[in-house]
Amino acid sequence: MTIADEKVDFGSMRPAETAVVVGGGVAGMQAALDIADQGYQVVLVEKTPSIGGVMAMLDKTFPTLDCSACILTPRLSQVSRHPNIKLLTYSEIKGISGEAGNFRVQVLKKARRVLEDKCSGCGDCVPHCPVQVRNEFDQNLGYRKAIYIGFPQNTPLVYTIDKDNCIKCELCVKSCQRDAIDLSMEDEQLEIPAGAIVIATGYELFDVSQYHRLGYGRFKNVINALEYERIINAAGPTGGKLMRLSDGKIPKSIGFIQCVGARDVQKGVPYCSRVCCMYGIKNAVMSKELQHDIVKNVTVYYADIRAYGKGFEEFYTMAKERFGIKFIRGRVGEVSEDSKTKNVKIWAENTETGEFLKQEHELLVLCPGILPPKGLKELADYVGLEVSVDGFIPIQYPASNPVDTAVPGVYVAGCAESAKDIPDSVAAGSAAAMRASITLAQGGEQ
Amino acid sequence: MTRKRFEPKIVAFTCNWCSYGGADLAGISRIQHPPNAKVIRLMCSGRVDPVMVIEAFKGGADGVMVTGCHPGDCHYATGNYRTQVRFDALQMAMKTMGLHPDRLKLLWASASEGQQWAEGITEMTESIRLLGPSPLKAGGAGK
Amino acid sequence: MEQVDEPRIGVFVCHCGHNIAGTIDVEQVARNAQYYPHVEYATDFMFMCSDSGQQLIKDMIHVNNLNRVVVASCSPRMHEPTFRRVVEEAGLNRYLFEQVNLREHCSWCHALEPEKATAKANDLVRMAAARAALLEPLEVKTVEVTPHTLVVGGGVTGLRAVVDIGSRGFKVTLVEKESELGGHLRYLSTMYPNNEKAEDVIDRMLIAARAIEDVELLTDSVVVDFDGHIGDFEVEIKNLKTSKTVKRTVGTVIVATGFEPFEPEGYYEYGNNPNIITLADYEKMKKNGSVLRISDGKPPKQVMFVGCVGSREEGNKGHEHCSRYCCTAMTKAASEIKDISDEVMVLYDDIRTFGRGHEEIHREARQKHVMFSKFAHTKKPKVCLKGDDIVVKWKDVLSETYCEFQPDLLILTTAMVPPPTTDEVSKMFSLTRSGDGFFNEEHIKLAPLTTHTAGIMIAGAAQAAKDATDSATQASGAAAKATSLMAQKNVEIESTVSWVDETLCSSCHTCVTACPFGAIGMLTTNDPPIAFVTEAKCKGCGTCAAACPSNAITMRHSTDEQIMTMVEAYLTPQTLKGGGEQ
Repeated sequence: MTIADEKVDFGSMRPAETAVVVGGGVAGMQAALDIADQGYQVVLVEKTPSIGGVMAMLDKTFPTLDCSACILTPRLSQVSRHPNIKLLTYSEIKGISGEAGNFRVQVLKKARRVLEDKCSGCGDCVPHCPVQVRNEFDQNLGYRKAIYIGFPQNTPLVYTIDKDNCIKCELCVKSCQRDAIDLSMEDEQLEIPAGAIVIATGYELFDVSQYHRLGYGRFKNVINALEYERIINAAGPTGGKLMRLSDGKIPKSIGFIQCVGARDVQKGVPYCSRVCCMYGIKNAVMSKELQHDIVKNVTVYYADIRAYGKGFEEFYTMAKERFGIKFIRGRVGEVSEDSKTKNVKIWAENTETGEFLKQEHELLVLCPGILPPKGLKELADYVGLEVSVDGFIPIQYPASNPVDTAVPGVYVAGCAESAKDIPDSVAAGSAAAMRASITLAQGGEQ
Repeated sequence: MTRKRFEPKIVAFTCNWCSYGGADLAGISRIQHPPNAKVIRLMCSGRVDPVMVIEAFKGGADGVMVTGCHPGDCHYATGNYRTQVRFDALQMAMKTMGLHPDRLKLLWASASEGQQWAEGITEMTESIRLLGPSPLKAGGAGK
Repeated sequence: MEQVDEPRIGVFVCHCGHNIAGTIDVEQVARNAQYYPHVEYATDFMFMCSDSGQQLIKDMIHVNNLNRVVVASCSPRMHEPTFRRVVEEAGLNRYLFEQVNLREHCSWCHALEPEKATAKANDLVRMAAARAALLEPLEVKTVEVTPHTLVVGGGVTGLRAVVDIGSRGFKVTLVEKESELGGHLRYLSTMYPNNEKAEDVIDRMLIAARAIEDVELLTDSVVVDFDGHIGDFEVEIKNLKTSKTVKRTVGTVIVATGFEPFEPEGYYEYGNNPNIITLADYEKMKKNGSVLRISDGKPPKQVMFVGCVGSREEGNKGHEHCSRYCCTAMTKAASEIKDISDEVMVLYDDIRTFGRGHEEIHREARQKHVMFSKFAHTKKPKVCLKGDDIVVKWKDVLSETYCEFQPDLLILTTAMVPPPTTDEVSKMFSLTRSGDGFFNEEHIKLAPLTTHTAGIMIAGAAQAAKDATDSATQASGAAAKATSLMAQKNVEIESTVSWVDETLCSSCHTCVTACPFGAIGMLTTNDPPIAFVTEAKCKGCGTCAAACPSNAITMRHSTDEQIMTMVEAYLTPQTLKGGGEQ
């Protein structure tokens, strides 16, 4: 049903009535919806083939354990169906000129090699494609073809051919009954006139292999939290079966290490990443929830548990009391692998008891902190902003104008401003929409 | 009857705002409780006509619950005060019908009281299990 | 209204990934459903709410000529609007849809008993199918949205919302019970994370608000009466000083009634020594000049802070939550006061400096040699008074040592709790409250600003404890929600209202007194007078229908028959081979 753009003439859009939202995660989608609901036009630019952002990759969400897909999916279709929102997925911003009320946004629309108005998302082409590569959406744990959608709710529901891996055998072209595949398609340059811009580019995760001692990349049963999310996700590479990667067995004992790439001056990430405590607890709870008969020992190694939001403290209490999750305050020193069992041994100090601990887990999950996404600096540069020392978009008056950048007409939502959880990102998306709509209503004056 | 454990059939008339939310929260928080109660969602517990309760017993229910917002918290201001009045009247009629008063229960649970919901359902199920099948239904031998 | 033929029901059972299918045998549930009366089609699917799931429903409606749809998935409180829209897009009236809650009410809470859960799921689907057969289409109505917003509360949240809505070009009325605007910011000196003066923050917004013609700022005022529905609320506002009232008609409402700092009576000898104060007291002192000991007016030399006073207390209702702002506020205060005193000690449970720039404040405090000591979550510090001296004893869990400190100023960092007016406000605006006592949002993740009452938004600390930055963000967000409704001019409302069959009405007036909203009146042009319902005032609770002794009142979408058929389907199931005719 997601019929992506019947050829939109972007050049003829009126800047006074149009906003560009950069980034199609939960914050960007919210901003787009709240601007579009006011009757303005929105061009939502997303660099991957689908909107949904990181939330689409998650299994459950804290503190209510709602499944991410359950609550996000309707939002995806709401965005794609909205008459005032034009989706530009698989597209990147290449330049911005002008000023509030009259920006010109240069967009590179990468060639999908599949016609958005013809593809019905049936997937008939997939079995014919002979090229199999790792699926980025599954954190490279699963596989996809060179013609692919990342996940079943891909929005728009249109396939994409990744040109780096396509061998141009044209088997997909022959298999497509709708003649939707065009291997000769080329990238397109678009210019979008817009009165206001919302930056909602999200975040990326800290590369946990930078902590050599924690063994990520060296030991198979040390994984990061997003990989864990995909493993327990019913639509993920294991069909939702919690297992370890070395032998496919359900781990009886799981360790979670918090603050990996957060609150660490030496690694250049002095700040708290705001969400990791809660997603760590949530993932710990989920292991018990999924395999309560098998998973016996779940331990979270933390520095401070920052359960600050609505219902968070109560969730933390529930994890301890109802699910029996163990919480040990202490940074983990060293991790090694048992060469036979591939179990993971950790050495840690319990800073609450002073005890020196040596523990063995069958699976170890590192919970990485949040970094500004690649390209945020360039994007900021296009609009004439400088990112802060932390790499995020700076805010001049956080207490009164928390989504206003120093450039009139340019607003920021979600993690592009700093780490945030889903409700805070949603609220910020709505807030940026409000501010952007004022710029539009006042013709750039503000 | 076989030796199989008696599983009571319980009809729960549940208001949409507080108690249905409480039941949702029990699920969201994974608070396990017996599956014997079947929820019929109404906008307000004030919607429950005493006749509905009597009909449910006549139809063979082993127990009936009416669940709503706490007094004073009604989404419709005063609907649940009516519920209380009707419940009191019904409770008096239980004996006339030959039913043990415990077969009818009024449960106040707010949308944040998943625990209370689960406990209410558990208690109701267990107390009716002890009473046995309703005497109003075929083969019912309980009180 | 369309005439509906013989019911042809489609049943769609959702796996919800593992959420439902992991416990319930969804294939069995769908298979059984085929044999219930009037069911023409039944199937199961991975995610009914996904685009492909929605498309499946639409396709099957057309292929099987269905005129009723049952979706067995999650709580209707989340997805009823989604599926109503789906059936509508397929040409059916939205009220010909019925949802079964297999997730929250079944798979999640009976996870250890898969067989019983499946049996319950079968019962629930059968009941829903029986109800679906009796559903009737209802006319979808729209109302015009008055382009005027009421904002309740004049703190940072209310002010932000007012400035945004006014700047966007809509009328807005702010009601604040105090004489001054600015809320708790009036008592703060500087704000984290950027050390901006709190009065500058207020002034920036006040100046903006006062410059907008369509902004009406009513101080010393409270809302005394509130009535109506989305798009058309009647508000009566009373000035507390003059006792005069004014009336406004608004289309949308933002509730921003904030918080109050917890008064820690009974905690740590508070009230028994003038040098034991709260963080709020400290801020007031600092704002008014300098921080001095109340007892002797001298600057403090040995200062101690205690965190989580009235927060994070399991089992203590209203105090179980984390108050979110206090760790950073306390750390900032400790860092500041270190400049003028000799020793500063912070006792904490966890340090939750989570926001942007907060960890940096925490780090700075440590660099300034503010001492931090962690007490055990279950064993809070003890304060005893020896004459005029304050003695604090606790166990530092990190060094495993028992410590003692004699502060000459003890500052208690207390929780944010709902203000005493919260009860009244919740009744006035039909808001429900969560376990922490603050107001419930429509959905805790994706709809944190709207509520279950259409047209009424919440923002700031009214929704849950939070700092100014997060409050201002929510304020702009809630303003966007209000603005969207006003910009759309017309919005749809529920059609589930009650209706009086005048041929059955016996003029007894029972319903008139039963209705909590005064929606039922007596039509005196008739003799004897008969009851009639003002639909715009009816909120659909159905109390009148239950009260009517003559069965003259029908509660649409919740008729006696629709309810009792579910009871019957549960207790005396009829399953027919082949389905269809009874």
